[in-house]
Amino acid sequence: MKQILIDPITRLEGHGKIAIFLDGKGDVANAYMQIPELRGFERFSQGRRAEDMPQITSRICGVCPVAHHFAATKALDDAFNVEPTSTAKKLRELMYAGYFIYDHTLHFYYLGGPDFVVGPDAPAAKRNILGVIEKVGVEIGKEVIKHRAYGQKITAILGGKATHPVCGLPGGVSKGLNKDEVKEIETMAKSCRDFAQFTLKLFDDIVLKNKKYVDIILSDPYQLSTYNMGLVDKNNKVNFYDGMIRVTDQKAKEYVKFDVKDYYKNIAEHVEEWSYIKFPYLKKIGWKGFVDGKNSGIFRVGPLGRLNAADGMATPLADKEYKRLYETLGGKPVNATLAFHWARLVELLYATERALELIKDPEITSDKIRNPVGEPGEGYGVVEACRGTLIHHYKLDKNGLIDKANLIVATVNNAGAMNMSIRKAAMGLIKGGKVTDGLLNMVEMAFRAYDPCFGCATHSFPGQMPMEVKIYDNNKKLYKTLRKNL
Amino acid sequence: MKTIVLGVGNPILQDDGVGIHVANQLKQHVNHPNVTIDEALTGGMNLLDLITGYDKAILIDAVNIRNEKDGEVKRFLLSDFSSAHSDNSHDVSLLEAIELAKTLGEKKIPCDIVIIGIVLKKMPNEFGEKLSPKIAAAVPKAVEMTINEIKNYVNFSS
Repeated sequence: MKQILIDPITRLEGHGKIAIFLDGKGDVANAYMQIPELRGFERFSQGRRAEDMPQITSRICGVCPVAHHFAATKALDDAFNVEPTSTAKKLRELMYAGYFIYDHTLHFYYLGGPDFVVGPDAPAAKRNILGVIEKVGVEIGKEVIKHRAYGQKITAILGGKATHPVCGLPGGVSKGLNKDEVKEIETMAKSCRDFAQFTLKLFDDIVLKNKKYVDIILSDPYQLSTYNMGLVDKNNKVNFYDGMIRVTDQKAKEYVKFDVKDYYKNIAEHVEEWSYIKFPYLKKIGWKGFVDGKNSGIFRVGPLGRLNAADGMATPLADKEYKRLYETLGGKPVNATLAFHWARLVELLYATERALELIKDPEITSDKIRNPVGEPGEGYGVVEACRGTLIHHYKLDKNGLIDKANLIVATVNNAGAMNMSIRKAAMGLIKGGKVTDGLLNMVEMAFRAYDPCFGCATHSFPGQMPMEVKIYDNNKKLYKTLRKNL
Repeated sequence: MKTIVLGVGNPILQDDGVGIHVANQLKQHVNHPNVTIDEALTGGMNLLDLITGYDKAILIDAVNIRNEKDGEVKRFLLSDFSSAHSDNSHDVSLLEAIELAKTLGEKKIPCDIVIIGIVLKKMPNEFGEKLSPKIAAAVPKAVEMTINEIKNYVNFSS
């Protein structure tokens, strides 16, 4: 659809701006979502001290600072040719588990939860965290706050600061754990594990036992049959902090498994003229447009992408929940976009169990937390951000300054899939030029499931994510505008 | 009166970081045991965590207000906004966070939350640490207004 050109000046205004184009019959021909992409990072980082990258990159995004911090730290391990000590790796992974605990808790109860707990048909004024509290009660509300704070506390104890950590260094970390801290983290992690189990039960009671919700989850507008991607350990179990990048196909069979060093052999980025965002796809399969299926290189990352790309969870309780998810939703892979919410809770449980495993590890209090670095060179780092696979790649000069930096961020990995999900949701709701009520809701649910992170770290009053849907007729004339928070 | 002053924004996103520039300058003028000056690269829930426990909070941030020009400095009360902060899809607004905390019985939310807003019509989309001339010119006024705001609550000589 060459003729759809959106003025580059306006493309970044209004986060979550969506354009829907109708055909001659008034049905949906296409839909596009514009994600504001911040530019110029490579130039910005050029000539800076490589050791500063974990701090600098954690400022790229107000949502996933911990993920950027460790993707950068791991890229520096590699660039300085140093293997972190075993204790350092465990401390990093423990801190990372804390990040997943608070981030996933926030998403389920505050952001995704309103769609289900309160209900997709509830009035907009109720579809927020306060509506959730009204439904589940103040006592549970307090538990939500408490456990989100525990996740942050775990991160803060290890990282120095809850939101913008300062602990990652090439070859290790800057700070170890003492016995009191171990005790405190263990108590919090246990409580988080129980709360994660409770949350899965809540999801069961409110969502899975409600036929109407299950029908929506399994309904056609919310299905997408793409490839799936995520980090896995040596047993092909989900891992957030380390491992190989695994991609599975539409039959849940392994398509490729590669080390992050080979990312450019496996992932390419497609450019569309209406968006600054580049759309990643599987290079060997190729870009076939915004279509799913075996012949299209589009893949999904994030909670459901990770679960689909793995053979299970590495901890017992989460693995049980993993199996239950697939049994309930008809086997692997699950293509239901709204199942991202459920997958997120399985991961929440895993994060708490993994935190407990790590904190009980006798090595966790060792003072061997850093190895000496080698000569500067080129380095790759990969982690799973809550929202999906995140890659940092740096080239250092001989003085240890950044010569080149490239990042592939999680939300961007899902950009192609999100566009399709929006189009599918719109197709179900616009027929013959008639726009059904609830379009905004259903479209929002389609991309909300991915937990996208738009304007990385942009904070400006007044806020609350604005959403604008513009519908154009087949002559590309504006036909209707729907707005929220604008 | 325990007061917290937070420069809010992203220091590597050009004009978006104006609040942090103001906070850094304030540190040179204000030194009082009851006044904490810090920066916040975050919104919503995390911002609430940072201001909880103080009697008064002053947030310095870029604001996007219709019919105002870039670089104007305005004082607002949090209640002037229908929704505030956290312009991203993975957080709730500060107002929502506060309402939630109150519903759950939190008693330590500052009774006064003032915003010193520097009008910025268009969010930068390119990384950088420098402010544009118009926004940089607004910094002294924002510093002055914030000092006056603090003086309403705390006596100090700058």
